[in-house]
Amino acid sequence: MEKTLRKDPAKKIGSAIAVCLIAALYIFLFLLDNVLPANSFTLMLIPVLKKGAIYSLICVSMNLLNGFTGLFSLGQAGFMLLGAYAYAVFAIPAEQHPAVYQYFDGGAIGFSIPEALGKLLGENAGAFVGSILCIIIAGIVAAAFAALIGIPVLRLKSDYLAIATLGFAEIIRAVFQWNSLGPVTNGSNMLRKYTSFSAIKIGSVKLATVFPFLIAMICIGIIVLLINSSYGRAFKAVRDDEVAAEAMGISLFKHKMLSFVISSFFAGVGGALLAMYQTTIQASAFKSAMTYEILLIVVIGGIGSISGSCIASFLYIACNEWWLRFLDSGSFFGISVPFFRDGFRKVVFSVIIMVIVLFFSRGIMGDKELSFAGLVRKFQKKSAAGTAKGGAQK
Amino acid sequence: MKKVFALMLAVVMVMALAVPAFADDTITIGVFEPLTGDNGPGGKQETLGMQYANQETPTVEIDGTTYNVELKVADNESSTDKAVSAATELVASGASIVLGSYGSSVAIAGSDTFGEAGIPVIGVTCTNPQVTVGNDHYFRICFTDPGQGAIHAQFAKNTLGASKVYCLGELGNDYDQGLLNYFQETADELGLEVQKEDFPNGTSDFTAYLTNAKNFGAEVIFAPCSIPYGQLIIQQASSQGLDVVITGPDTWDSNMIMDSVVATGMDVYCTTFYGEGGAPEFEEGFKAWLNSDDTALANNGGNDMIAAVSVMGYDAYYTALEAIKAAGSADPADILAALPGVTYTGATGSIAFGENGDAVRSTAFIKHANAETGEWEAELTELG
Repeated sequence: MEKTLRKDPAKKIGSAIAVCLIAALYIFLFLLDNVLPANSFTLMLIPVLKKGAIYSLICVSMNLLNGFTGLFSLGQAGFMLLGAYAYAVFAIPAEQHPAVYQYFDGGAIGFSIPEALGKLLGENAGAFVGSILCIIIAGIVAAAFAALIGIPVLRLKSDYLAIATLGFAEIIRAVFQWNSLGPVTNGSNMLRKYTSFSAIKIGSVKLATVFPFLIAMICIGIIVLLINSSYGRAFKAVRDDEVAAEAMGISLFKHKMLSFVISSFFAGVGGALLAMYQTTIQASAFKSAMTYEILLIVVIGGIGSISGSCIASFLYIACNEWWLRFLDSGSFFGISVPFFRDGFRKVVFSVIIMVIVLFFSRGIMGDKELSFAGLVRKFQKKSAAGTAKGGAQK
Repeated sequence: MKKVFALMLAVVMVMALAVPAFADDTITIGVFEPLTGDNGPGGKQETLGMQYANQETPTVEIDGTTYNVELKVADNESSTDKAVSAATELVASGASIVLGSYGSSVAIAGSDTFGEAGIPVIGVTCTNPQVTVGNDHYFRICFTDPGQGAIHAQFAKNTLGASKVYCLGELGNDYDQGLLNYFQETADELGLEVQKEDFPNGTSDFTAYLTNAKNFGAEVIFAPCSIPYGQLIIQQASSQGLDVVITGPDTWDSNMIMDSVVATGMDVYCTTFYGEGGAPEFEEGFKAWLNSDDTALANNGGNDMIAAVSVMGYDAYYTALEAIKAAGSADPADILAALPGVTYTGATGSIAFGENGDAVRSTAFIKHANAETGEWEAELTELG
């Protein structure tokens, strides 16, 4: 009894390690942006890290809904599309409007938030504050749509909810491609020339890779705090047994709605970051295949594990877009291999995913979290008695 | 055990990162093409032209020194969200100049990555005006959509003598919608009556659209969509017994469209970059090369019919060599500076860069699919 009340030394060491690692990560990212030489390794590392960070946020937002509240929703691509468009529409400089909206006489908006702020605060600060403002708008737009469609959709359960949200995502894509909305959405054409990561800097110090990590970490941090709050416990209660939760006085609809809207908000933020990363955005990219990709990462990471989603995001993006590319090149360490040709990496990638699903049937992390305190305890036990039997702990 | 296995997998992947170093006397030309995804077949055919040109002329001479030219292919998966990492891969491989991509939207999506690295790009068959507008590092050797849309309207009015045209494009596809837009502009000038409809992605039943075309009294159907949709439209127009001429864009210049025409006997035309017989020497060499290489033959769709995009890829490679020679170095910045002045006369005609880095082209080909012989019959026309 006394022992549990006393502050756990392992926890202290664990959080110290975590803080050090995060600091080291940011120093590394900062160096990567500014100091480290551009060679074939660092050049490929940067986009993978950026996209990994963005996907972490999107996957965690989906995990909040699917893993922690037990709502099987497949509308993620739709909310990302809303976020990406909301961001891009408000961040295209006015002088670029005639070129971007070439079929719609320069579009209907005619101003850009980063540009307007740039005039007040100076160009760099304007881009920084303006893009954050646009990202927040992106989140709010996605959340507002979620609140609207949540009213009818959240009365459905399991498969029906999945189909309804999937349908919503498809409908929203068609609406954005509709020519009559062209002056705002540019119809079927791309939006481009808006503020991207490379415009984010302080003086001559570039923050192109630091920025997505910063935004993603803040957002994931908020989600973690939410999950550990009384609301989070209510979400888990709804997930585990709706009837029991309702009997305990938890309003089902209110909590489902809360989870749905918050998840969509962060999906919108993720969509905006994805738009910044890609530097161009087109509605046709946000197909249901994108939702399945995110769902796959959530399942590989472990449904109900935040750290699992993050780890799986980075591994998935790195495998898909970087590590496996050599399989298409036709040779391996200078040796010509005949079946290493275009598209072979896709075959290998599918096999790897199947292996992971077979051997780690509950994902990489299951529903546990990566905990440095747990690792420290494990290490202490091992070195003290040599008969360690603890595992990763919550 | 599982952990050991996972660790082994990770180690193998990290090992794969070790990229073999290139010798100093090698110049890398990046190939930014879709090899998988929706545009995979077209991207492969375009790459084939470059590969053939590369094995025909694998070296380039700068100031008396001979350099080996190596092609580095990066697959952009026909997808705008994979374009950034594919483009970065080419930047990381030290490419001096990049060729591609088939499909304008991926070209636009990858453009900024090349721009930030200061690497010039030559677009081969990406016809959307947005590819080069505002992108000083992007050049292209093909005609653009405004010209192509105008040709189709003039062709429908003047050559086919039509007064009513039904237009059908895919919703959400900027290529289709761009062409339809330019078609409409010229059609309005010429006094053509136009009815336009969009079909959603993944449509396989065009019966309702074709019935609308019939009720409208269309004499010509202009359908600037991708090959699979084109095949379905041709087949279903035939089975409905529509008495119309169907015209398509440059993507339709494919043996797959020809197969549908032969099977149905429909009257089909398309615009294209190259007319058969335009460069007999190239055709002979290219066919011999295809037939000697199983992989190349498979990438060409299993036969040795020459696609216009392959010829364009071939010319793009030689234009890149000319640019390297004109720059007198393999440095991307020098090549970028030299590119606007580069001229080259290739299999598809003379190539020079004008406003925005777009090719100065005054002609295009309109091809008629001959349903009896199964051959394309090309005819040269002036761009409007």
